[in-house]
Amino acid sequence: MGRLSGEFRIYIKYLRMHLLSGIEYKGWWLMLLQVLIVVVTDPISTILLFSRFGSIGVWTVERIILVYALAVASFGLAESFCRGFDYFPWHMLRTGNFDRLLLRPRSLFTQVAASFFHIHRLIRAATGIGAAAWALGKLEVPLTALNIAVLAMALAGGFVMYCGVFVLTSGLAFFTIKGLDWINILTNASYQITRCPEPYMPRSLKNIFTFLLPVLLVSFYPASTVCGWGYPPWLGFLPLPAGLLFMGLALIFWRIGVRHYKSTGS
Amino acid sequence: MTFRQTMRACRSLFRIRFAEGLQYRAAAVSGVFISVFWGIIECVIYTVFYKYSQNPWNDGGMSLTQTMSYIWLAQGMWGLQAMSIDGDILEKIKSGDIGVELCRPMDLYFHWLAKSSAGKLGAVWLRGLLTIAAGALMPAAFRLKPPDSAAAFGLFLAALALAFALCSCYAMFVTAIRVNITWGEGPTYMLMLASGVLSGGYLPLRLWPDFLQGFLRLQPFGGFVDIPAQLYIGTLAPRDALAALGVQFFWCVLFLAAGRAILRRRLGSVIIQGG
Repeated sequence: MGRLSGEFRIYIKYLRMHLLSGIEYKGWWLMLLQVLIVVVTDPISTILLFSRFGSIGVWTVERIILVYALAVASFGLAESFCRGFDYFPWHMLRTGNFDRLLLRPRSLFTQVAASFFHIHRLIRAATGIGAAAWALGKLEVPLTALNIAVLAMALAGGFVMYCGVFVLTSGLAFFTIKGLDWINILTNASYQITRCPEPYMPRSLKNIFTFLLPVLLVSFYPASTVCGWGYPPWLGFLPLPAGLLFMGLALIFWRIGVRHYKSTGS
Repeated sequence: MTFRQTMRACRSLFRIRFAEGLQYRAAAVSGVFISVFWGIIECVIYTVFYKYSQNPWNDGGMSLTQTMSYIWLAQGMWGLQAMSIDGDILEKIKSGDIGVELCRPMDLYFHWLAKSSAGKLGAVWLRGLLTIAAGALMPAAFRLKPPDSAAAFGLFLAALALAFALCSCYAMFVTAIRVNITWGEGPTYMLMLASGVLSGGYLPLRLWPDFLQGFLRLQPFGGFVDIPAQLYIGTLAPRDALAALGVQFFWCVLFLAAGRAILRRRLGSVIIQGG
């Protein structure tokens, strides 16, 4: 336990350091604005489609925004607090900087996870949570303790899952070094599927994003449990186990990768 | 150095950068995966709206099959747009190598235009072509259909060439603005994002709100994706094509002139960064 809290202290220290060095730049808050604009423009096409075509059966724009916002928020959290793994193949492995981490008597996981931190990435998470709150208000969902717990667990599960995606990418990067762009399918493209109401989704897509990468488990089903859309309520309690399972598998890849590593760059 | 010599040098630069882009075949294949995945998701979403929504008639004059074709064409052409300034050139601006570039006896604008457009085309033509081919091989409900008519296809090709020229000139316009800015990529990034959103790649322009249609037809960025795609699927009839191509051409010339003027002004008081 002592070791774990020690690692956590190091992690926080790293984040503080990155934060302080980040806000030394005069226009640092401009980046907040920039990310905000990017995040807000992303769902524009969905909203315009709803305003043109109207709801899809019982699926109103509020419902879709809620599901989408939950997925985006958990992606934003992972992007903020696990940025090091997101950047790892590009900024750590190819440059050879990873060698230095191997020399330090601390866990690799903490060191890599905390090797980058950008405050402006939190905007995506904050906007996502804000949009989810707006949708919940519109749908008149009572904010009982249980509902809040379900939503918090959904965010936590999604956070762990997307961290797992970054860890998996980093693990694979040991073998490929380059050509990892397809991983975009598991990151920025993956939450786009939440724009489609679940009952209308083709079975194959549904299976991929439930069993392979559990995006639907961390967004759609918790939302359904909270709002009562007629799916078994216990599905809403799965995000955390699913996220942890995905992370566990990703960590195996990461371990194999580290063992395989023979230094790159100069 | 005369204009003719500059053009000859630009032709060589174009060939070199074009061949360079082809080196990264793994990246192209990886890119095709992403485009096809996005394409499939879009197809699913539009199909749901066209089939199960409250007002499926309100489709802005675009049928479902036309929209499917549009999606694949847009995915294929998406790469032509610059989403960031050419990496080589940005590096030169940042590191101060722009001083070396100025020593070359060539017009800097055309030098960079040739370089950046060739880099773009070399990197994306294979990806775009494979994406469009994948679209043509999809299951019938999601498939890219043949062009509306032979004339439509010819006009599509003409608009595609103009789209490439327009994208290149716009990228150079943004690059010219970036010269002499010492505090980051914010403004250039915003310009690129605006062009992306209004190009039709986010949402076919006909599906935007009706009261915006007049503006959307005249604004420059429809020429990136929307005009070629609409000519292909036939929602833009061949008799209206001349006006649409004219819009593309007009903005192309305007961005070229503006880019050149801005670059010349900026170079008058250029700051050599780095050291």
